[in-house]
Amino acid sequence: MEYQTTIGIEVHCELKTNTKMFSSAKNGYGTTANSYVNIIDLGYPGALPIINKGAIELALRAALVLNCEINKKMHFDRKNYFYPDLPKGYQITQARTPIGIHGYVEIDTPNGKKKIGIHDIHIEEDTAKSIHTAESSLLDFNRAGVPLIEIVTEPDMNTKEEAMAYVEKLRELLLYANISDCKIEEGSMRCDVNVSISKTEKLGTRAEIKNIGSISNIGLAIQKEVERQQEIYENGGTIQEETRRFDEKKGKTVLMRVKETGNDYRYFPEPDIPYVVLTEEEIESVKRMIPILPNVRRDFYKAHGMSDINSDKLIQNRPLSDYLLKAKENLDYVIASNLLLGDISAYLNKEHKEIEETMLTIEKFESLVDKLASKEITSKIEKEILVDLLEKPMSVEEALKEHHLTLVNDTKVLEEIVTNIIKQNQESVQDYKNGKDRALKYLMGQIMKETKGTANPVLVNELLIHLLNEE
Amino acid sequence: MEKLSKEEVLHVARLARISISDENTLEKYQYQLKELLDNIDKIKEVKGYDEELMFSPVDHQASLQEDVPGEMLSFQEVKKNTPHMKGNFVEVPVMINE
Amino acid sequence: MSNYLDLSIQEINNLLKKKEITPVDLVEECFRRIESNEDLNAFITLNKEQALEEAKALADVEVDNLLFGLPIAVKDNIVTKDLRTTCASKMLENFVPIYDATVVEKIKAKHMIIVGKANMDEFAMGSTSQTSYFGSPRNPWNKNCIAGGSSGGSAAIVAARLTPFALGSDTGGSIRQPASYCGLVGMKPTYGRVSRYGLVAFASSLDQIGPMTRNVYENALLLNAISGHDDKDLTSSYNQVEDYTRLIGKEIKGMKIAVPNYFMSDIVDSEIQDKVREVIECLKQNGATVDYIDIDYVENAVTLYQIIAMGEASSNLARFDGVRFGYSAPDAQNVEELYLKTRETGFGDEVKRRIMVGSYLLSGENAVTYYNKALSIRDDMRKSFRKAFQTYDLIIGPTTTTVAYSLGQDLDDPMKSFMDDVLVIPVNMAGLPGMNIPIGMNQDHMPIGLHIIGNQFEEAKMYQLASFLEKELNLDLDRKERS
Repeated sequence: MEYQTTIGIEVHCELKTNTKMFSSAKNGYGTTANSYVNIIDLGYPGALPIINKGAIELALRAALVLNCEINKKMHFDRKNYFYPDLPKGYQITQARTPIGIHGYVEIDTPNGKKKIGIHDIHIEEDTAKSIHTAESSLLDFNRAGVPLIEIVTEPDMNTKEEAMAYVEKLRELLLYANISDCKIEEGSMRCDVNVSISKTEKLGTRAEIKNIGSISNIGLAIQKEVERQQEIYENGGTIQEETRRFDEKKGKTVLMRVKETGNDYRYFPEPDIPYVVLTEEEIESVKRMIPILPNVRRDFYKAHGMSDINSDKLIQNRPLSDYLLKAKENLDYVIASNLLLGDISAYLNKEHKEIEETMLTIEKFESLVDKLASKEITSKIEKEILVDLLEKPMSVEEALKEHHLTLVNDTKVLEEIVTNIIKQNQESVQDYKNGKDRALKYLMGQIMKETKGTANPVLVNELLIHLLNEE
Repeated sequence: MEKLSKEEVLHVARLARISISDENTLEKYQYQLKELLDNIDKIKEVKGYDEELMFSPVDHQASLQEDVPGEMLSFQEVKKNTPHMKGNFVEVPVMINE
Repeated sequence: MSNYLDLSIQEINNLLKKKEITPVDLVEECFRRIESNEDLNAFITLNKEQALEEAKALADVEVDNLLFGLPIAVKDNIVTKDLRTTCASKMLENFVPIYDATVVEKIKAKHMIIVGKANMDEFAMGSTSQTSYFGSPRNPWNKNCIAGGSSGGSAAIVAARLTPFALGSDTGGSIRQPASYCGLVGMKPTYGRVSRYGLVAFASSLDQIGPMTRNVYENALLLNAISGHDDKDLTSSYNQVEDYTRLIGKEIKGMKIAVPNYFMSDIVDSEIQDKVREVIECLKQNGATVDYIDIDYVENAVTLYQIIAMGEASSNLARFDGVRFGYSAPDAQNVEELYLKTRETGFGDEVKRRIMVGSYLLSGENAVTYYNKALSIRDDMRKSFRKAFQTYDLIIGPTTTTVAYSLGQDLDDPMKSFMDDVLVIPVNMAGLPGMNIPIGMNQDHMPIGLHIIGNQFEEAKMYQLASFLEKELNLDLDRKERS
C-alpha cells in the first residue's frame, strides 16, 4: 500500500489597516526603526489595549470570504511566552472564540473541485522584527502589534499540488477582498505547513515546516518532507513531532526544534478587553463591502466568451479587472479584454500609470469597443487614436476627426473606388470566381490601401461581393 | 497537595524566567509554594452551581476605535527608558533559540 | 506657624478665593509636615521643586473648584510623567514615565498638586507594605506597627495629615485595609468606575484606583474628580458619573442593611466585633433595618483571589524583562540569561513567589483545574451578591480581622498577607464598590474600621451611610505631631 500524505496549513496574514490591532500607532513598513510605536506597542507599564475597528472589520470580511460561521460574541486570550520580539511577554490572540469557524476554500484539482475545510480564523497581533548580528540582536517594534489573522485549515490536503492551489486561492481571495497585501516574500503572508504520512487510516505524526518563503517552495518543501518521512519509516524509524524549516539552498527541510511537551503557553482570557459583540447589521454591512471575488468574475468572463488566458490575466491584474467591472453588460468582452491586455496594458506599462489615472473613462472605452465590434473602425485606427483617448479628454468621435480618420460611409464614393480596384485587378477577380477566397482579402487590402484605412470595412465588403458577382 | 518536588519548583521558575541560584533559596520556595498551593487546592472541593465562566470583569461590551492614526513616540521618548540602544534599534544580547 | 491644612476643604477654598492664602502656602506647609515626619517612610519620591513651581503658576488662575491648589500624594504604581514611578521595586528604581495616568491627568485638570509618590508593597503585592524595596512605611498611630498594604504609604500620609488627599489602588483590599489600620476613609469604587490607564497592572480584572481621605465628604469629592469613562481603558464603564456627595447628610431611615454571617464569625477579633455591633445598634435606633445573611462562596474568596490574582500577575509582570525599560541585568551573555538575572535581581521575594505560583496555576492542565474553576465560582459569587442587593441597600461588616500589628511579624508566612484581606477580597471578586470608615479605637488606641459594600455604581448611597456614622460617632482622628 502507498503512503497517504496529509497536509494542513496555517497562514498568517497582516491586515491592511491604517493602525495597529490594539493601538493607534501607524501600521506601515519601510520607515525608520521604532518610529511607528507608542506605549502600548512597547508594552509599557500601565498601558492598556484598545481595539481597532478597521481590523475587526477586515478579519470579519476574511471570515465571510472563507465561508465561515461567525462568532458574534468573542473575547481575546493571552498566550504567554518570553521572547524579546514580544513586548508584553504575551500575545493577545483568540484561543477560545475565534472570529470565524467551519469555513472552506474551494480549489481546482485534476479530479474536479475540492473543498478545503477552514478549522478557524482568529485575530492576533504581530511581533517585533529582529535582526541578528554576531554580537547582539536588534529589535524594531514598528511591526509589533500589527493586526494579523491566522487561518488554520483542516488536514484536508493530500498532495503538494493541492497545498499550492490552496495557498494560491487563499491569496487571491484575500487580495481581492482587500484584506491583506499577501506578500509572501515580504512577510505580510506567512505559511506554516503540517505534513504527515501514513499507510493506515490513522494519521501519522506530523512535522511542522515553518514560514516557507514562496508558493513554489511550499510544493518543494512538502515533497522533500514526504521523502524524508518515508525514508525514516522504510528504515523502521519513527517520526517525532517537531518544527522544521525549508532550507532553500540545501533544497530540504531542516530541524529547528523538537516540540516541547504539553502546553506551556498558559492561555487565559485577556482581562483588559471585554467581549466584542458583532451584530447582524454589522455583519451585513461588512458583507456588502466585499468586492466581487475572482470566481464570480471568472464565471462572468466565461459566460461572455472570454478565453481562459485572458480571464486569468485579468484576474491577476486587479485594477484592469475592477475597471472592466464598471462596463455595461452587453459589451464585446472578447474585444474589450484584448484591448485592455494588449494596447492599453502596453501603454500603462510604458508610462507607469494605472488605468484609473488616464482620461479613458469607461464610457469612452465602451464606445471604442463598440466601434471595433461593429467594424466601424479598424484596429489600425484604434491604435492611432488610443494615446489621445488615454491622455486627452476627447471622445472617440472627436479623436477620429482630429486624426482625419472619420470612416468613409458614403456608398457612392466607395462604389467608385471599388469599381476602380476591380478594373485594375482582373486577375484576382478571375481567382475569386474560381473559388479562391484569398482573392477577396487581397482586393479588400487594395481598397483599404487606396483609402488609407478610412473606408467602412463592412460597407466595402458588401459592395465588393455585390460588384464581383455582377462582373 | 501531596508534595511539590524541587523539579516542579524549578519548572515553574523556568516558566516565569526567574533563576534560583542556590539550594537554600530552592528549598525556601519549595516550602512557600507548597504552603500557597495547599490553600489553593481547596478549590477542588468547592462546588459551583452553574458552569458559566466569568471571562470579563465588566458587563459592557468593548467599544471599537476608528482606524485612524494617533500620536506616536518620538525617538527621544523611546530612548528615555530603554537600557540598550544601537542606532534606532533596541539592543539585546544574542537570542539563542532559532 | 500656620496650619491651613487642618482646616476643612471649604474653609481652605474660601481663603484661596479671597486670596488670603495661595497654593504656595499650602504646598510649603505640606512639605514642612512631610519633612518633620520622615520617619514614617511614607513617600518613595518627593516632587518638591515641581510642586512649588506648579503652585506658583496657579497664582493667576481662577479658583474654580474645591480641590483647587490642594496637595495630593499618589501611590507609586500610578504613572506620572517625568516623575519617577517605581512600584516600590528595584525593577523600576530608575523608571521615569513618559506619560500620565488618566487619573493623574484628571487631578491635574482640577489643579491639584502632586507632592510625591507614596510608598507601597512591591507591585502592590502584600498587606503590610513591608515588601517595598524602599523599606516599610509606619503607622502614625503607633510607629512600630504596619500601616497596612498595599497602599500603606498613602494611608500613613493621610492619617498623619501630611496631605489631605491620596490616591491608592485596591486589588484585594489594598485601599480599605490600610485605611482601616490607619483610621481614615478609603473607597474602592466599582470596577470600571475609574480608568486603570496608567495604573501598573497587578491583576487586571480586580485592580481599581480610589481615593483615600481624612473624611467622607472629601472622599466623595475626589471620587467625583477621578471617575468617568476613558477611551484608553476598554474596561472603564459608560455608566454616567453622578455627584457622589449628593446623598451626604441625608437621613438613613428605612435603609435596609445586611451583615454576612461570615464577616462576624470567630475569624474576627472580639473587640472589633463589639465595635461593629455598636454601630449596628446605632443604625437600628436611627430607623435602618439590619439583617444577617449568607453570601455564597465568601469563605472561598481568598482561594479564588489567589488563583485569579496570581495567574493574572504572572502574565502582567512578564513585561519586566530588561529589554525596553527598567532594571536590566548587566553582562548577560544571551537573552535567556538577561531574563533570568534581571527578574531574579529586579523582583523581591513576595513578587517572585506570586509570579511562580501564577505560572504554575496557568500551566498545562492546571488552567482547567484551577483557573477555569475559579472563573466559574467567581461568577457564582458575583450572582449571589447581586441577589442580596435585590433586597438590601448596603452590606456592612468589619474591614479587618485585627487592628494593625507589629512590623516584622510573620514575614515568612506566605499565607499571612492573604488572610489579612479575607474580609475585603470578596468585593474585588464581585467587582463591587467597598469602603472603609473609622468607627473607633481598640484598647491600645489603634483604629478599627467598618466595611461598607454597595451594589455596583451605588457609591453615593455608601457615602450617605458613611457620612451619617461619621457625624454620629464624631471621632477625633487627628494624629498630627506638630513641630
